[in-house]
Amino acid sequence: MARYGFFDRWPRPALAALLWLALATPAAQAQAQPQALLEALAADDTGQGHFPVESTPRAVSLPDDWARSRPFVNTPLWYRLHFDAADQAGLIGLYLEHACANVEVQLNGQRLHAAGRTIDPISLDCQRPLLLPLPAALLQAGNNTLDLRLSGYALRQVASHQRAGALAAPLIGDYAALAARDDRDRLLAVTLPTVASALLLLTALLVLVVARSSRRDSHLLYFAGLATGWALVTARLWWHELPLSNFDSELLLACLPPLVALAAVQFLIHYAGWRSRPIEVALYAQCVAVPGSLLLAGPLRVHMTASSWYVLLVLQVLTAMVFYLWTTWRTRRRDFWVMAVLLGVCAVMVALELATQQIGLPSPWQHLPQLLMPLAFVAMGLHLVQQQVNEPLSGEADRLALGDRAREAGVAMEKSYAEMVELRVEQVTRQERKRIAGDLHDDLGAKLLTIVHTSDSERISTLAREALEEMRLSVRGLTGKSVKLIDALGDWRAEVVGRLSQTGVESEWSAPTDELTQSLSARAYVQTTRILREAVSNIIKHSGASRCSIRCLVSNGDFQLAIQDNGRGIPLELDGRLDRGHGMASMKHRAKQLQGQCLVESGPGYGTVIRLTLPLEQQANPA
Amino acid sequence: MKTILLLEDLPEIRAWLKTLVMQVFPDGQISEAARVHDAIELASAIKFDLALVDLGLPDGSGVRVVEKLRDTQSDCQSVVVTIHDDDEHLFPALQAGAFGYILKEQARELIIEQLQRMAQGEPPLSPSIARRVIAYFAAQTKPKQPDLLPHVSLTERESEVLLRVAKGYTLPEIGVQLGLSRHTIADYVKQIYRKLNVSSRAEAALEAQRLGLFRR
Repeated sequence: MARYGFFDRWPRPALAALLWLALATPAAQAQAQPQALLEALAADDTGQGHFPVESTPRAVSLPDDWARSRPFVNTPLWYRLHFDAADQAGLIGLYLEHACANVEVQLNGQRLHAAGRTIDPISLDCQRPLLLPLPAALLQAGNNTLDLRLSGYALRQVASHQRAGALAAPLIGDYAALAARDDRDRLLAVTLPTVASALLLLTALLVLVVARSSRRDSHLLYFAGLATGWALVTARLWWHELPLSNFDSELLLACLPPLVALAAVQFLIHYAGWRSRPIEVALYAQCVAVPGSLLLAGPLRVHMTASSWYVLLVLQVLTAMVFYLWTTWRTRRRDFWVMAVLLGVCAVMVALELATQQIGLPSPWQHLPQLLMPLAFVAMGLHLVQQQVNEPLSGEADRLALGDRAREAGVAMEKSYAEMVELRVEQVTRQERKRIAGDLHDDLGAKLLTIVHTSDSERISTLAREALEEMRLSVRGLTGKSVKLIDALGDWRAEVVGRLSQTGVESEWSAPTDELTQSLSARAYVQTTRILREAVSNIIKHSGASRCSIRCLVSNGDFQLAIQDNGRGIPLELDGRLDRGHGMASMKHRAKQLQGQCLVESGPGYGTVIRLTLPLEQQANPA
Repeated sequence: MKTILLLEDLPEIRAWLKTLVMQVFPDGQISEAARVHDAIELASAIKFDLALVDLGLPDGSGVRVVEKLRDTQSDCQSVVVTIHDDDEHLFPALQAGAFGYILKEQARELIIEQLQRMAQGEPPLSPSIARRVIAYFAAQTKPKQPDLLPHVSLTERESEVLLRVAKGYTLPEIGVQLGLSRHTIADYVKQIYRKLNVSSRAEAALEAQRLGLFRR
């Protein structure tokens, strides 16, 4: 059953649009005039609410990644930065691209920004950039002090690097310019993923609606699940207030990937037209095993456990992709290339996503999966929907073909039945005729014979004999099979030449010598025999001829026979036409019955010519 | 002196045949029978030189008498006298060993001439009979059991004669065409009929054997 998807009609333009969209989105960085503060002094928080001046700070460079600088500590960290505001005119802003998880900002000792929880569970603001206007009132000419208190988790406590404690280099500069940059980053980091999630959910809904309840559409259900799962995974970007502890929320989050992997693998397997119960069971077991193993590992080994699981899941999905592509390549499906490109894009995105989760990738690479995957999903969803819509059509074609074949079979059956009936009728008719012939021979023939041999009158004997001959011919006409023309010619020659030579008439017989394939029906054979006999009898009895020539030939599908003698000719009647006696009428009548014609030319001193023409095609049927 | 068997059920015809026969063979001794059963009994008792056998008899076909005579008295010439002129009736009689055939309704002169010819050893052969014989021997050239069946085939001369008869040439014409005397051609025809009989009998024997084997 052929499946025609969305991209089969215009694969290239659509994919080009996709790629352009993908590549255009991580737009060129807006040129930041603002200064980036790259150095800070860091000190652990002592709970005083401000930078602990008594402890010895250490120098760190920004952006700072806790996974690298302090992997096993998760107490909040103070950063002290200095900047010079003198050369900035207008409203100045502070821009923090990335501060994970929660940051408090103090400018020159005054608290500028503090929001959310700073202890477990810390409000996760990891994805949102922070833009703060720096009020002129707080600014000092010359040196300013910026204190940032970052509360976050150690890498080992979270499943994804994106949620591990990290601080990007703050930017100080013109507020308007920073606002523009903030908008752009917010778009990339928050808005687009939200839109993408919504799109994914819509796609899932669409595919779900189109799926029927048959087994064949199970791949659609799994795809809907996959899209929904991925939407939820993307949604984690904008959920930041979960009333659960970090460990619990990580656990909850960890339930999603195995489900997504299950949906992906099952979708690919079913779409390839295969099914495997053991794999299904293993996938379901995995959904329980992943959170279970996390639970067992404890809060401090979250990252390690989750990472290993994620790698495994990604490998599973990639294997399923390869399997799918291999199957469709073998079966030469039409949508192979479309699906190959889409799956390729997804594979790369999944790899990028995994890298982001494990080691962290710089923007815009970390945003790419969030944007391209939904698009790829939407494209695949449309493709599937199109296939579903087109399927009834191909099913329709199959049904029509089946109907045609059934009809053909019906016609053939009728024909063979009709033939059978015809044969049977023929058989019965033949038997009937044989019976009549037998009866005629036994009864009528015997009586006529008796007359022939017991009559004193020569004339009566002759008449009876002729009657018997006629009877024999009639029986032959009734029951006989068709006769080959060559055989008929042989019979006629023997009879005609024999009779003529017996009565002393010189005879000349010419007939075609090449192989003749035509046949005469029994009736045509008999009637022609009668005509010949009549003609020869006339020659013998009435014409007084000394020579006779008989010519037979086949031309234009007709059999032509010409009997010519050098006798005295047939006498004319009073009206100038030939004497209707001598069996002329019967000869003409017989010829006409065979769809032929019999012409007679005669005259004193000219002799007589009898021309018989019979069409051969019609005679070929057994009468 | 010829012993002659006359098998015919219609009394008038039988009487008429008798007069004919007596005209041809004045010193012939004629035995008459009206049924196959009687004819066979006579054939067991008397040695005949000539048998005129009708085909359509109330208690069977005269072909059985022809067979019987061929089996027990191979010198006897059986001539089938019949109303049927078609090869379907005549061919089996020839296969059974008949020497020739006469059509009953012909004028007595013609019948007499034919009888005389047969007495001289010239059996009749019509084109349709010739065609049947050709077809028969053509089928024989593909023997089903080559080892068991005595392979009877026609010589080239015999085949030529048959072909010409089938085409409708009269015997004198054939003689002219092949450069043979009428007598030689007549011999060929006799040979052909004999071979036909031998082959047919062998076939029949084989068939009987096969059936016997099956029965066993």
